[in-house]
Amino acid sequence: MSLIIKDLYARVKDGAQILNGVSLEIPKGQVHAVMGPNGSGKSTLSKVLCGHPDYEVISGTAELDGQDLFSMSVDERSRAGLFLAFQYPVEVPGVSNANFMRAALQARLPKGEELDAVSFYKTMRSTMSKLGMDTKFTARAVNEGFSGGEKKRNDVLQMMMLEPTYAILDETDSGLDVDALRIVSDGVNAMRAPFRSFMIITHYKRLLDYIRPDVVHVLYKGKIVRTAGYELVEQIEQNGFDFLKTEE
Amino acid sequence: MSIEEAFALAEAEAKLEQALADNKTRFDNAVLPNRYNEDWRFGRPNKFAMALAETLQRNANCHGGASVQHAGDSAVPVALAANDDLRQTEMLMPTIGSDALLGLHLKRFGNGYALYIEEDTKEPIRLTYKTSGLYTPSTFIMVAPGVKAHVIEQYCGTGACTMFATRNIQVAEGAELMVELNADVDAGSYMVITNIQNMGGKVKHLTELRGEWVREETIAEIYTPDADVQLYSANRLAGNQVLDQHTRQIHHAGGSSSNLLYKNVVDDNATAIFAGNIYVAPAAHHTDAYQSNRNMLLSDKATIHSLPGLEILADKVRCSHGSASAPMDDEQLFYLCARGIPKHEAQLLVADGFLADATDKFRGNIQTT
Repeated sequence: MSLIIKDLYARVKDGAQILNGVSLEIPKGQVHAVMGPNGSGKSTLSKVLCGHPDYEVISGTAELDGQDLFSMSVDERSRAGLFLAFQYPVEVPGVSNANFMRAALQARLPKGEELDAVSFYKTMRSTMSKLGMDTKFTARAVNEGFSGGEKKRNDVLQMMMLEPTYAILDETDSGLDVDALRIVSDGVNAMRAPFRSFMIITHYKRLLDYIRPDVVHVLYKGKIVRTAGYELVEQIEQNGFDFLKTEE
Repeated sequence: MSIEEAFALAEAEAKLEQALADNKTRFDNAVLPNRYNEDWRFGRPNKFAMALAETLQRNANCHGGASVQHAGDSAVPVALAANDDLRQTEMLMPTIGSDALLGLHLKRFGNGYALYIEEDTKEPIRLTYKTSGLYTPSTFIMVAPGVKAHVIEQYCGTGACTMFATRNIQVAEGAELMVELNADVDAGSYMVITNIQNMGGKVKHLTELRGEWVREETIAEIYTPDADVQLYSANRLAGNQVLDQHTRQIHHAGGSSSNLLYKNVVDDNATAIFAGNIYVAPAAHHTDAYQSNRNMLLSDKATIHSLPGLEILADKVRCSHGSASAPMDDEQLFYLCARGIPKHEAQLLVADGFLADATDKFRGNIQTT
């Protein structure tokens, strides 16, 4: 059981082509890091997989445990087990964190079944506590007025509550201070399991020091150009992405 | 009956007779609303004006019922069907282009409440007006100095009903009033003219309106320094519904403040109209007033007419106004859907959140803006 992406070409709707034949397989139980210079298509890849309406698939396939991802709507992909922690989490004024999470969890229940309010709040509060979040955030509107770090923590809170089987973390480390980075990483590490896998998009080694990846990919000009182990992270940290240009 | 009482009664009857005659003149001299009148330019007035005029001209009986619920300990004097008193208070009511309609209303109205609130209300006082036909109720609320009160008015109509309400609200020095108007007239028409007179207190006013054709006229007159009026409205329109809202924030005294936030979510072929005006009298320096109209459009065929306005005759004031109408933010919708919430439900959540901005501010503590 895996997330399998084959020969994926995609572009901004009515705009530039960004992905130029991405092929990738992330088996369950593994953590894969995706690195690459700015503008190489990392965030586009995450958004295309989740079904963002600004992008369109030109060709290629993506399968989630054998299911055709691109034939599903955005919400169906989420309920099928895919999760995206956003690079820039969106503010949703007037919708409280608690109501938002309740709606997301309710949507996963069979028709006619109601979410248990007591256990919902209990779980939400204890998860917030693990992430060092004030429980007052349950009543606050989703991400509204949150600092950059609070928004990222809120996304990780959602991931821990929804318990996806495939989680994509798009630059979750940006905007986090050292302590917050450790807390968030601890949360992710606690979720590592044989039935779950992660795609971690990042520019920096420090996150991957906390969440040690099994496989590291380099995405460049919309294509996976190199795949290796953790040693690739150290190489990039020391020498940057210059090797990509010499290989061109 | 003593001779004094007989004279008093005769005088009251004479006054009422004069009032009725004055209202007939008011109606006869005024032109029924039409689209050539600036205050009715976008509001499709024909349906309501003609239905009301024809029915009242035929002397048709008003059909409606009213009830009051007050769970507090304090004894709030309530005068149900105190028609003569209410008529007297309404004689001086200003309108925003609806003089003829008000004349019709005063000629023959249903009943109503006069509330003289002299003690703090522990629980909200609830006034309910119901009809399935034609109903023209009136409400008079007066809050005594230093008293804190909360009143909820509900106007419920079924079928193709017509409801035309008038409201007089007077708030004395140091008083605080939260008053919410909730109207749901189904497939019918609803019109409400509200006159708020603030003599030195704090007023929070919320309207939530739903009907096939709805018009709100709210005039807030602020007479003393430190007086504050906050006007809120939160509405959801769909189908072919029309919501026509007109407001005036009139500052007669300097150092007073007012704030307005009217928000609508407009779907299908519905139309929302907002025309607001802040007026600052020549001597009302240091007035602090704001006005904002925000609309969310859910359909390409939905229509918004937004006309905020300022008329400032004093020099040292802080007044501003703003208006914004836009479709639902796709990024917000995507964010919710990306968590597994079906699109339709996500749209409802975002729309409710948009309106909650106004209702939450109303329900917060009363503060000077």
